[in-house]
Amino acid sequence: MSVEFLEWLQGTPLALYVGETWFPLVESLHVIAIAIVAGTIFLVDTRLLGLVSTKLPFTYVSERLLPWTWGAFAASVLTGVLMFIGNAVSYYENTPFRVKMLLLALAGLNMLFFQGVTFRSVAEWDLARPPAAARAAGLISITLWCGVIGFGRWIGFAS
Amino acid sequence: MSMQGVIDWLTATSLSQAIQTTSWAIPGIQVVHIVCLAILFALALSLSLRIAGRGLAREPLASLAGRFVPAMGICLAVLFLSGALLIIAEPFRTITNPIFYLKIGLLILAIALTLWLAAVARRPAAKPSAIHVAAAALSMLVWAGIIIAGRYIAYV
Repeated sequence: MSVEFLEWLQGTPLALYVGETWFPLVESLHVIAIAIVAGTIFLVDTRLLGLVSTKLPFTYVSERLLPWTWGAFAASVLTGVLMFIGNAVSYYENTPFRVKMLLLALAGLNMLFFQGVTFRSVAEWDLARPPAAARAAGLISITLWCGVIGFGRWIGFAS
Repeated sequence: MSMQGVIDWLTATSLSQAIQTTSWAIPGIQVVHIVCLAILFALALSLSLRIAGRGLAREPLASLAGRFVPAMGICLAVLFLSGALLIIAEPFRTITNPIFYLKIGLLILAIALTLWLAAVARRPAAKPSAIHVAAAALSMLVWAGIIIAGRYIAYV
């Protein structure tokens, strides 16, 4: 990404306004959004591991919780972008920020692989213990999202 | 002992010194704190939705509350412990900060609302009324307020 673009971004009136006035509130809303995203994902992932909610079908748990995950994810992207534009150049060069984006991408790939491959046989294990591939997807997801939170918090300590 | 006396004494303890002089300790403890609050918040959201007849509505309310309320208690215990470590490490950030006391006040309210709703949920054939749904919605606003106050501790 070009430095000129990032510099333009952080000079926009919106970026300046957020940076001067609204940063703590936007950051707080980002934490609430992340809490819903990661928290609901952990509930679905622990069901995938066969640890909790085992009397409910996996498809039911995920159908009822994931709309909240996606809604909160949209909110976390919006608040994240608002924080990013305020200091675009330094965030872009911030190592924890880059690692966080990488882990987010890996979490997305893990989800796509699960949806496209492992989930196809869900009828066979919807109420039983999920197969090893499904449990692995759950464990990988929990690990990656802990990493997203961890490196996300580290951004503020590294800049 | 004055507030400043408490701060000076806490800052001088060997535990406080150990956390202060370990570069990754404070962000590390904060990450544990945030992961636990994420789990707690999602459990509170699921319980509140269930009280409103939404979310995991296929499971009886008493059963869901029986699973989620104790899990919320475990999360709270870890949050208290990690929060206490953060206060011991940097007492000057919290002990004289009014936002910290606002956060504690909201926390007491959230716990009281949750315990009340849990008691309602545990009744056999519990059927929450509009007042319980309102209390569940209020509890979510209070949990959100606790998160906002927690973040503002760093800015006030």
